[in-house]
Amino acid sequence: MSSSVENRPQDTRHRKGQGPDMRRILYRETHSSRAAVATAAAILVMVLAAYGVLEAGVHAVGQPAWLIEPQVAAQRIVDLPAGMPSLLLAAIGAVLAMLGLIFLLNGILPGRRARHRLLGAEGEGLPAVVVDDEVIASSLARRARLAANVTPEQVMVVVSQRTVLVNVRPTSGVPVNQDVVLAAVREELDHMMLDPDPEVQVNVTSSGVIGA
Amino acid sequence: MNSTPALLNRILLAVLGLILLAAGVLLVLLATVPAVGPWWHDWSGGLWSGASQAFNSTRFPGRSESWLWIVIALALLVLIGLMVAWVAQQGKGRSNLLAAEYDPGDIPGDVRIGGGVAEQALKHALEGRPDLAGAAVTTYEVKGSPALKVRLMPRQGVAPHLLAAEVSGLLDALESVVGKETPVLIHIGAGARTRFGRAERVR
Repeated sequence: MSSSVENRPQDTRHRKGQGPDMRRILYRETHSSRAAVATAAAILVMVLAAYGVLEAGVHAVGQPAWLIEPQVAAQRIVDLPAGMPSLLLAAIGAVLAMLGLIFLLNGILPGRRARHRLLGAEGEGLPAVVVDDEVIASSLARRARLAANVTPEQVMVVVSQRTVLVNVRPTSGVPVNQDVVLAAVREELDHMMLDPDPEVQVNVTSSGVIGA
Repeated sequence: MNSTPALLNRILLAVLGLILLAAGVLLVLLATVPAVGPWWHDWSGGLWSGASQAFNSTRFPGRSESWLWIVIALALLVLIGLMVAWVAQQGKGRSNLLAAEYDPGDIPGDVRIGGGVAEQALKHALEGRPDLAGAAVTTYEVKGSPALKVRLMPRQGVAPHLLAAEVSGLLDALESVVGKETPVLIHIGAGARTRFGRAERVR
């Protein structure tokens, strides 16, 4: 399996004059965008900053503060464990830490979407193709169903980044050959040439379905 | 495939997340671990006295307010402006131009082909296919050059590589009509219509 990975054309994206931006586009399609979280973060910062501007401006022209005098607030923060119920303090801290963790993880985690690249057969000249795992699964399920000669309800396929799990529930009394299903799914996957190339696992359950 | 600043988003989110996380953990520690209290008094007290010193030394002559407040307000306004700019960068990149080329013929001017040409042509070509539940074509601008995104929603059980090969034939035809090579991305996806629609049985 690994040899087939190495034999693939490495420069698919440079073919047909598709510039190096193709790499950028493909990254964008296979990784989830942080636009929504980023917008939420920006709005949060904007609201806080707007309040800060208000208080600072009011203070600069010598007017009484709107909610709290900045100096008083700072003094309160300095002697914090006092002057506030510790339960409330801990709760506020936990909420802040949680929010921070969400933003941090959004910034750091790879955020890979459930999609695969389709490299296409050599010489076929396919443009950049990205496929949802769900589509791959339904295609493989169809292939496995034909190989096992069962109804669509008896096959379940789960596609993840590196594995393809095929569950087959045979019809009672009609044995299903696991190797035949495996070979059929493997052949279909070899035609697809996914990137990253997943391993195939076939499970044939011991209990069959009656009357299917 | 829009021009959302992915790296900038991640960096800013990580920085903001770290700040919030540190503040939250500090508050929790202050509330639960008594030993953190004195250290916090020491550290923040020193910081605060330094800050009030700065405020006191920067008063307007003859008045009790410090002009440092105006500086703070301006800095925060700049921060708000930066945040607005950041939000404005999200999701940009849709365009309506497929090709633009200077025409060296006798008539002055240049040739522009709108994205609608590709969208309409491909939509018509893909119409009536039994294996597709839907298709959409959009033109994007990636780093100043046009790019095409074809989103296909095949019915259940359709082999994606065969579909991609067929659509890529259509795209080649379109390319030869337009006369310019455009980077193309085909996204074969699933949606509610493909999930609950009938499966494609004959092919």
